[in-house]
Amino acid sequence: MNGEDTTSKRGSGVAAQLTDLVFLRRIFTHFGIFSAFIGVWEWAGRTGRLNDLIMPAPSAIAEALWRLYVVTGQIYWHFFVTFFEAVVGFFIGGAIGMGLAIAAALSLTFRRYIAPYAVALNVTPGIAVTPIFIAWFGFGWSSKIALAALIVFFPIFVNTLSGLLRTDRDTAELFRSLGASKARTFFKLMVPNAAPMIFAGLKIAMTSALVGAIVAEFASATEGIGILMQRFSHRLDIASSIAVLLSMALMGLFLFVIMEKADRQVVFWKHQDRLDAVSRNRRRRWLSAATKELART
Amino acid sequence: MIQGNMNDDAIPGLPEDDSPLWKRVLKHTAILFSLLGVWEFLTAFGFADPLLFPRPSAIFGSFMPLYVTRGIVWEHLWVTMSTVLAGFVVGTLLGIFLAVLAGLSETIHRYMKPYVIILEATPRIAIGPLMLAWLGFGFGAKLAIVTLVCFFAPFINTLTAILSANPAQVELMRSLGASKWQTLTKTIVPDAMPMIMAGIRMAMASALGGALVAEFISSNTGMAVLLKNLAAMLNMSSAFATLLSLTVIGYVLYAMMEGIERRVIFWQNDAGLRRVSAQRKRLWEARA
Repeated sequence: MNGEDTTSKRGSGVAAQLTDLVFLRRIFTHFGIFSAFIGVWEWAGRTGRLNDLIMPAPSAIAEALWRLYVVTGQIYWHFFVTFFEAVVGFFIGGAIGMGLAIAAALSLTFRRYIAPYAVALNVTPGIAVTPIFIAWFGFGWSSKIALAALIVFFPIFVNTLSGLLRTDRDTAELFRSLGASKARTFFKLMVPNAAPMIFAGLKIAMTSALVGAIVAEFASATEGIGILMQRFSHRLDIASSIAVLLSMALMGLFLFVIMEKADRQVVFWKHQDRLDAVSRNRRRRWLSAATKELART
Repeated sequence: MIQGNMNDDAIPGLPEDDSPLWKRVLKHTAILFSLLGVWEFLTAFGFADPLLFPRPSAIFGSFMPLYVTRGIVWEHLWVTMSTVLAGFVVGTLLGIFLAVLAGLSETIHRYMKPYVIILEATPRIAIGPLMLAWLGFGFGAKLAIVTLVCFFAPFINTLTAILSANPAQVELMRSLGASKWQTLTKTIVPDAMPMIMAGIRMAMASALGGALVAEFISSNTGMAVLLKNLAAMLNMSSAFATLLSLTVIGYVLYAMMEGIERRVIFWQNDAGLRRVSAQRKRLWEARA
């Protein structure tokens, strides 16, 4: 946390140069530790202190990555399948979760009677439903999409609901006294108010959608990154297995970054730089509209 | 980027219902039974395939052979529960211990951070097949998977909580001449406790899932294996009964953690605060 603080505070003059230096040195140390670690690992692997079957050397993993991505290129299709399953599941589960959460936020009765079912769904490990989904939807993509949707449902539901319920009473009162319609109050007050929490839920859900898709592939699949990894480790090709695992981490990171970007786009008022940019844009648009108006009159 | 998570998993916005208990229970059961009734009706009259969507009555009927007459569930239940609890204890303790270590030393924390972030982004459960290759089929691999799944939430929450300790309080302890150990146990840890408990609760929630995944990929006993076999035989009513059992287990674990949390961070709810203060007053009076 400290590293980010010093870099973000970089101003001008001597202080900036100093923090730049500190920053450079820090990166250098990180890099040093990392390469020392890799070096020791490689050395242990080469000299036979580490069993190849247990922990292959970094060079073997790099070679496996090369093979997977460049020579055979077999990973791309599996990558796409899992990505597709996770994202489609995310959208389906998210739509259902948000829909039910909106209904629950607007009606106390509905909230009261849906609560036990939501709790039951939450305490059931979603993964346990996999065999039943496979029986229902078959061995193909749809069972994985269904599992991703199921896992995604609860975090989105709960976060949307608590975000919508957190509406400020005084502001709601103001809307009412200004004669805003119910729909207007909902879209202009409740939704923007809830947006930060909803996005927090979406971020959690996105990563768990990926986990859901991968786990469902473990249970039974013919294509997808989960089954690819399982195949490699059953063959005791641990280097390729770790290479696939690294790719999974990359995909997780990628999805997380996308969600982070979407968060910054939509909930722009929570990030200072985005807030500045949006207000600048709006001012420019308003100014040009005003000048056009002036020119016409 | 290392951020603790206090994400609550309770349904918000449920004020106390004033109507009498029997009325509430009656309403809830009425809704449940009408839902089950519709389902029963749909399958009984052939609108839904009973092979895939077993009738509620068939599901409840299959609890009997599972638990009583044939009793096949017990062995699997025992295996799963022992994996869950062992992995949970090991993973949580390891997570908290390492987080305290990392939280106290700025250097360790700084150089550990990138690795923790990478591990955070990796779907933990996905390491399952690797663990299996390393540790072989058996309890070891399953334990390792559950431990790994349970490790992160307590680790990250503890680390965040310790790093966000109030500097003014720490300063006060220092100026009062408290030792490092006293500062840790008397201010930092109690302050961090709500966050740590939230992490532990999340670990518990994922432990059951982790154990089930481990069983899917490696085992020949356990609830997940039972469920998989039943579903593969298209004995869907028994599969649903097993799934419902898992729901109950999940709920019991959840309620257990809630109870523990209420006892440990007693100062966050009125009843606990009152109980503990009364107790302390009694102790103090007896001593005086």
